[in-house]
Amino acid sequence: MNAFDQQTAALECAGLAYQVKGTPLLAEVTLQVRPGETLGLVGPNGSGKSTLLRLLAGLLRPQRGEVRLGGQPLAQLRRREIAQRLAVVEQQASTDDAISVRDAVELGRTPWLSALKPWSASDAAIVEQALQAVGLAHLSQRPWHSLSGGERQRVQIARALAQQPQILLLDEPTNHLDIQQQLSILALVQALPVTTLIALHDLNQALACDRLALLERGRLVALGKPLEVLTPQRLHDTFGVHGHFIDDPLDGSRYLRLRSC
Amino acid sequence: MPPSRLALALLASLGPGSAALAAPTHYPLTVENCGVRLTFAQAPAQAVTIGQAGTEMFYALGLGERLAGTSLWFNEVAPQFKAQNDKVERLADNEPSFEAVIGKRPGLVAVQFEWMVGPQGVVGTREQFAELGVPTYLLPSDCEGKDNLNGADGTRLDTFRIDSLYKSIEQLAQIMDVQERGAALVSQLQARLAQVTATAGERRAQDQSALFWFSSADLDTDPYVAGRKGIPDFMLNSLGMRNVVESDEEWPSVGWETLAKANPTFIVIARMDRRRFPADDYRKKLEFLRNDPVTRNMDAVKHDRIVIIDADAMHAGVRLVDGIEVLAAASQKLRKAD
Amino acid sequence: MHHAVARLALRSLAHALWVGALLSVALIAAASIGETRLGLSMVLQVLANHLWAAGYPLDPIDAGIIWNYRLPRALVAGACGAGLASAGAVLQALLRNPLADPYLLGISAGASTGAVLVTLLGVGAGMLSLSGGAFLGALAAFALVTLLARSARGSSSNNGQIILAGIAGSQLFNALTSFLITASASAEQARGLMFWLLGNLSGVRWPAVGLALPVVLAGLLVCLWHRRALDAFTFGSDAAAALGIPVRRVRLLLVACTALMTAVLVSIVGAIGFVGLVIPHAVRLLGGPRHTRLLPLSALCGALFLMAADVLSRTLLKGQVLPIGVITALIGAPVFALILVRGRHAR
Repeated sequence: MNAFDQQTAALECAGLAYQVKGTPLLAEVTLQVRPGETLGLVGPNGSGKSTLLRLLAGLLRPQRGEVRLGGQPLAQLRRREIAQRLAVVEQQASTDDAISVRDAVELGRTPWLSALKPWSASDAAIVEQALQAVGLAHLSQRPWHSLSGGERQRVQIARALAQQPQILLLDEPTNHLDIQQQLSILALVQALPVTTLIALHDLNQALACDRLALLERGRLVALGKPLEVLTPQRLHDTFGVHGHFIDDPLDGSRYLRLRSC
Repeated sequence: MPPSRLALALLASLGPGSAALAAPTHYPLTVENCGVRLTFAQAPAQAVTIGQAGTEMFYALGLGERLAGTSLWFNEVAPQFKAQNDKVERLADNEPSFEAVIGKRPGLVAVQFEWMVGPQGVVGTREQFAELGVPTYLLPSDCEGKDNLNGADGTRLDTFRIDSLYKSIEQLAQIMDVQERGAALVSQLQARLAQVTATAGERRAQDQSALFWFSSADLDTDPYVAGRKGIPDFMLNSLGMRNVVESDEEWPSVGWETLAKANPTFIVIARMDRRRFPADDYRKKLEFLRNDPVTRNMDAVKHDRIVIIDADAMHAGVRLVDGIEVLAAASQKLRKAD
Repeated sequence: MHHAVARLALRSLAHALWVGALLSVALIAAASIGETRLGLSMVLQVLANHLWAAGYPLDPIDAGIIWNYRLPRALVAGACGAGLASAGAVLQALLRNPLADPYLLGISAGASTGAVLVTLLGVGAGMLSLSGGAFLGALAAFALVTLLARSARGSSSNNGQIILAGIAGSQLFNALTSFLITASASAEQARGLMFWLLGNLSGVRWPAVGLALPVVLAGLLVCLWHRRALDAFTFGSDAAAALGIPVRRVRLLLVACTALMTAVLVSIVGAIGFVGLVIPHAVRLLGGPRHTRLLPLSALCGALFLMAADVLSRTLLKGQVLPIGVITALIGAPVFALILVRGRHAR
């Protein structure tokens, strides 16, 4: 029993199960995201990463089990309350509307605005802050459609930051981006002081997380530090590849070398 | 029209004085009718009518016995024909079906409107009837000088002439071999028309105007009113009155705004038995005119110069002159009051 | 916080004032132009007489035409344009489809069936007017479409379900209407109905204003209340949920609200096309996609457009009134084409 277990999990699920038309996508997933940590979600395609994220965000309703946000069951919270504490960045956001970058980021203030609390100077300041945090303040007036993929993802992250959440959920945010964009986004996410749950495809990128949760065919098969989770045995059983760690002579960090079986 | 006058006229026509016109028809008979050549080997034994005008022509010619079925009625039959009409089967109040007409095996179908039997006829086309050996006779008033494919009820290219009514009677009489009665009926109508127009013509000034309101799709919407060159227009012109509607369509729909501004001396409304639209009921028309905030200020409504005429009397049938007489009476009453 | 509320209230009031002024000018202009010549000064005098008993001596027919025919017609045209345009904007946002329009959910198809049932078959035994039948028909079609959308299988695209259900429902009711007309209508009835179906403002009087204006104002207010929620749908309904919008509730409320508003308008004036489809797009081009501006601007432009179309419909051809749907299509179709072309270049 260590100090971590006694703290209330920022976000947790217990016995989560979800199926679509009889096909189970998730079964018996129990997970706790600790406050302040960056938890990586890894697993092969179809392992249920996106489904788990959506369930944790409250976008889907589980058939069994429950999700708790800051100790409170998600089902009992109003969407607005959830959105004030939890923000989601999807894999790819698209729209036909001719919105500007600033418009898109301003959407993040939606859960905080109401008839009695209309748009004010503080909202504008928060949006400005978010833009600067992702390094896009100079592009705020540009139309969304003129941005590159990486810039669009940054805008989505800025939007999520504008929500001022305690928890940030990201679903494979770097999937279709150039390597440079990928690295910069990941660095950005790492630097955020928010509790983060990030689904990742690239295992080397996953090494930078505090902990990793490994999903295989809808089940949670491993949870712990990256080096403890990504053992050669695991890599072979779950991913079907041979892998071992190499130390990088440049800065001493660990790096995963993968070979096919 | 008082029944006694008609009976007298018929009796008179059968006397030796009209022997010159009492020639029997020579068969085979060929008749040019609205672009179609009709041939009759003998006088048709039985006929069917589509349209009250044709029906009443048959009765006026004493041909009620040879009428197998009637259809398309606007009003109750003229009182002098009621007894006769009760013995004839009514196939439909409105449009009959093609089979109902054919089922009577008629030797002639007398049709009042080309949109009943014609290129876009709702009962059928003339060719369809001809294929089964049934000649269709269209009353010339509806096809001569009229384009029935343009405008909802057709558009008059030429002004309606009363001659087409006389032609209808004469041709029907010829086909059915009762020419002497036909001639008598025509001269009778001519006489009455001359009398009523003469009385009005004494002070023939263009200072009286009118509009004819037939019906409306919905009471508040634009009404169907009589246009220029048509039959109601003829009725007005023969009395020296002016139609305030300027369209050449037979029954165009014109907004109340325009009609109210035109402010005619008289408003003629149609009375009919049909209840296809709420405005068919002449009482509803009266109610509208008296209650609508604009129309109730029209001169004709304020001074109760609303003339009610049977719809059938606005058509090219034997009751047309009845209608003109009603109109003339109203016009004269006003002149006397001046 | 109070600052912000007060500022918002003041700004809204200022906007409401200039919008109101513009609409009033348009109203007076629309009332001055018509089938017969009745000048602007007469319109002003009529208004003066009615609003503060100024006592100008006027020909009762002229005054009656302006007060009882033209003003209600212009008001209903404005209300209708505003209602249809904002309904179109809302549905385009909710369903994420630029081709969505207020009639998508079967409303106009159902209204025409209802109207036909009442006029041709006498359903309702004379107690139901054409408008009443149209309204009930619209609601019936909408209920059917909703049922269809609910029971459609596949949760892949909620919006796709709704749109397909709307198309199916509309087709069904249109087929019914065609069947009824061909089976039992006379040429005159068919003509009268066709005129109504294409949009007809000629029978509109003050009672229609009493119905249309409050319904549209209420509907518009409900939609405006949800302007931020509509913005949140920009990246899809999941993104909206993640931004704190109760998606199902909002969608249900707004769809029902626009459906009701559209059903009332269609039952009064028939199905006037293109307004709900084209106006929101045109306004987006001018004012951007944010609903705080899009909704009121669409309503305003819709109102002005339809008032102008109504005036055109009765002055374009001398002595003849064109169905207003023809005018909106004649203007709307090329404008839509222009928007498409311009949209392509803008990217």
